[in-house]
Amino acid sequence: MNATWTIAKKEYQLAMRSVTSYIVYVLFLVISGATFATTVFKINLAEMRNLFGAIHMLYVFFIPAITMGSIAKERSSGTIELISTLPIRLAQVVWGKIIAAFLQILTLMSFSVLYLAIIMVLGQNVDYGAIITGILGLLLASLAYISIGVFASSLPSNQILAFVIALAISGFFYAIRFVLVVMPLSVVRYIQFFSFEYHLSGFMRGVLDLRDMMFFVAVCMIFAFLAEFNLQSKNMMQER
Amino acid sequence: MIQIEKLSRHFGAIKAVDEISFTVDSGSITGFLGPNGAGKTTTMRMMVGYLQPSAGSIKMDGESIFSDPILTSTKIGYLPEHNPLYDEMITLEILRYIGDLRKMGKAKYKERLEFVVESCGLKAVLTQKVATLSKGYRQRVGLAMAILHDPEVLILDEPTSGLDPNQILEIRELIRRLGKEKTVLLSSHIMQEVQALCDRVLIINSGKIIVDDEIANLGRYLADYQSLNLELEGENVDLQGIFDDVPGLRIEENIQEGNHYKIRLSIPAEKDLKHEIARRVTAKGWLIVSLYAHSKSLEEIFHNLTKSGGQADDGASFKDPKPELPLEASHEVPPSDAGETEEAILGQTSRQDTDKKGESQ
Repeated sequence: MNATWTIAKKEYQLAMRSVTSYIVYVLFLVISGATFATTVFKINLAEMRNLFGAIHMLYVFFIPAITMGSIAKERSSGTIELISTLPIRLAQVVWGKIIAAFLQILTLMSFSVLYLAIIMVLGQNVDYGAIITGILGLLLASLAYISIGVFASSLPSNQILAFVIALAISGFFYAIRFVLVVMPLSVVRYIQFFSFEYHLSGFMRGVLDLRDMMFFVAVCMIFAFLAEFNLQSKNMMQER
Repeated sequence: MIQIEKLSRHFGAIKAVDEISFTVDSGSITGFLGPNGAGKTTTMRMMVGYLQPSAGSIKMDGESIFSDPILTSTKIGYLPEHNPLYDEMITLEILRYIGDLRKMGKAKYKERLEFVVESCGLKAVLTQKVATLSKGYRQRVGLAMAILHDPEVLILDEPTSGLDPNQILEIRELIRRLGKEKTVLLSSHIMQEVQALCDRVLIINSGKIIVDDEIANLGRYLADYQSLNLELEGENVDLQGIFDDVPGLRIEENIQEGNHYKIRLSIPAEKDLKHEIARRVTAKGWLIVSLYAHSKSLEEIFHNLTKSGGQADDGASFKDPKPELPLEASHEVPPSDAGETEEAILGQTSRQDTDKKGESQ
């Protein structure tokens, strides 16, 4: 088996065994479920756009929590020395961690099938296309956030610090849209390009745009590369 | 075979390893000795490619280990200093994980797993979580992981630390067996271990190699003086004047507990004064409870060479020129296996000494 998959599998299995991950999962599902219930049962809308908005916001807090230990923990426990001396490439370690976190997000997102079922039962004239593209967009965005989280985790050996750094970077990409309001129109065009919300809005409306997809993939690749570069510059696994 | 030439590593202004050169031969066990902070771990980390050297070269079979790090790491088995393990995993899982990452085939993995479980005595803990293992078992799991892929070169950083005496003997036996075909470099600060296991010893202090020699030749590094422990029982023991006419003899310490006296003497290394001392003491009517010399152990050599750091810094390194120290040492140096028998007597005291040394530096 490929080393990336071996690492991803092991990380995912360990996460599924740890109590902390379940606390994170339960909190995530409770908050997203509450948002969904409000939309459907109180406002009487058979749509998931509010839920998706809430999930996007939750990403900013929960993905750093999921990824904070990925590399920082290897460093604080010293196991980084162990994997550094195995015949694997640094990039494989980074991508293994990213895939493991993505599998966790996939597990969480699979619960939205339940919401979809409720809407199918209760709703009329539901825009299924927008729901499917919305989920796809959120998964792509999660990849970008995960990559940021893994990069942040490669910086310090302290997990809490890794969380804060990831939160700051993710928060920046998330919160740009609030700053746009006060920006002069001439620069808005350029700045909004960095807003995750801007790139997600197409997906939410049911529009698949290759440019938006590429944006998230590119962010993911850039931060994965930065994480790899950072590990290299810390004198580990030199030249691997 | 590993060749190291002018290897240096600096951490900021600190020279952790300073232009060291040595060779580790295949089919031999080399001991790497030194006080804490001498540069043992740094050197080993560079040898496995975990740390990049500031200068110098490390060659394995003539090829720099950095030219193809992936290939290098398939050849090396490494047991890191504090033996980091994934605590949440089960012993069998962690071995499987390492096997997978090393891309061992199913058949080979199965065969090697049987070997490591047998030789490291892991059968009882295979299904146990690593976090719940005792220190001894953790160390064995670490060792099992290091030898799982049957590497040509084994680099073990303090392989027996934290083990109980029985486990130490087992692990030593295993290392001895592995050392017959593989290249083994192990670090330690326990003298008896190196004496018992290694063919060759490297002593490193403050980043410089001060001794690089066969174990059997170590006698020549002995100091001019050796110390002698004497325990006496008797009424009104007064050593004043008894040894006055023995040249070079000094009383270093005299501890009295009732009728029991513990005395440490220092005597010239080249003379065997035990008979003389025993004769004079018994003539006084005191009873000798024990009388033994320390100096012939590697311990003393280590102590002499590393304690007075000046020797290495003066450039008067012991490495090249034949030192002007007692050379009739051949019969004084115990054969490499004698360390274990001697340990029964010396083990306790000398290990305490080592600890003290560690703290003071």
